[in-house]
Amino acid sequence: MEFDDQSLERFRLRLRFKVRHHLGPFCPDNDDIVQETLTRCVIALRDNKIHKLESLGAFLSGVCNNVILEYQRRLWRQAPAEQAPTPSVAPEADLLELREAVADALKQLSGRDCEVLRAFFLQEKDKDEICRSLGLSDNQFRVTLFRAKERFRKIYLQGVKHSASGEH
Amino acid sequence: MRFHEDPLLREKLFRDYLLRRLAPETADAFESHYVVCDECFEEVRATRLLMTGLAQTKVDRRRLEDVVVIEFTTPVQLVRQSNEGRELLEGVLEQKDTKVLIDLSRVSRIDSAGLGLLMMCYSHAVRNRGMLKLLNPSSPVQDLLRLTRVDSVLEAFYDERQALKSFEVP
Repeated sequence: MEFDDQSLERFRLRLRFKVRHHLGPFCPDNDDIVQETLTRCVIALRDNKIHKLESLGAFLSGVCNNVILEYQRRLWRQAPAEQAPTPSVAPEADLLELREAVADALKQLSGRDCEVLRAFFLQEKDKDEICRSLGLSDNQFRVTLFRAKERFRKIYLQGVKHSASGEH
Repeated sequence: MRFHEDPLLREKLFRDYLLRRLAPETADAFESHYVVCDECFEEVRATRLLMTGLAQTKVDRRRLEDVVVIEFTTPVQLVRQSNEGRELLEGVLEQKDTKVLIDLSRVSRIDSAGLGLLMMCYSHAVRNRGMLKLLNPSSPVQDLLRLTRVDSVLEAFYDERQALKSFEVP
């Protein structure tokens, strides 16, 4: 079993997401950690250490956890106790590119859609509480939430495509 | 763990994962899953963008009965150079509700441009046979409202319930 280029890029994207989630988007070594994870996994695959395809996700994620832990230990050993690792000052490039598209997408959603999304994702309210405060039935809430999220996704993807085509 | 069974539970899982509210073993299982699941990865990524976008929005809208309360999520200054004023105006203009209460408790300073924006919001509401009132203006904002006599047009309240009740009066 081997990774082709396409799957390698697919896993790179997902591992980058995971590493950013653990170390924050501004950690300067995120890409190195992803690369190290992929290298270890490619070697393990080459050496036939992964026997079941269905355990690939757990394997990749587990190796990534180890690499993250090793990185954190190295930082703690190197840095004086009172000094936190210096984050990179440059914000995540893809977030910057997407920020405008995301803001535009949110502006294009209806007030009710935004209200539901904000209550659920930002204010962490539960379904019953949102239904009560907005006068929605269980079904209406579900429809509104999924439709709003889907609309958001479509609009921001259009925005991203639009800005990408404008750049080139 | 089955991640595709209940769509609402899945959305909750995305939210709690991104907010780091999941138990370590659940977070671990979910990470192992999205590394290989196209659908969940795209969804969790979209959720992150959505949550980032929502958190960056400086104007929040909530509905209390038939009144829309518009408030700032962070301390702001409604002055000529600020973007928050534009966002507030857009928030008022784009919605169809005609009973609007603007919470000014997080507005620390306002200038003539900010007052102009409030008056534009007011005109929009009146044009649509609606009402626009203010809630909790800070002391400097209140002073300027009084000085410019805008307070004679834009009614201000210091209690949300009282403000909401005032919309009921014909």
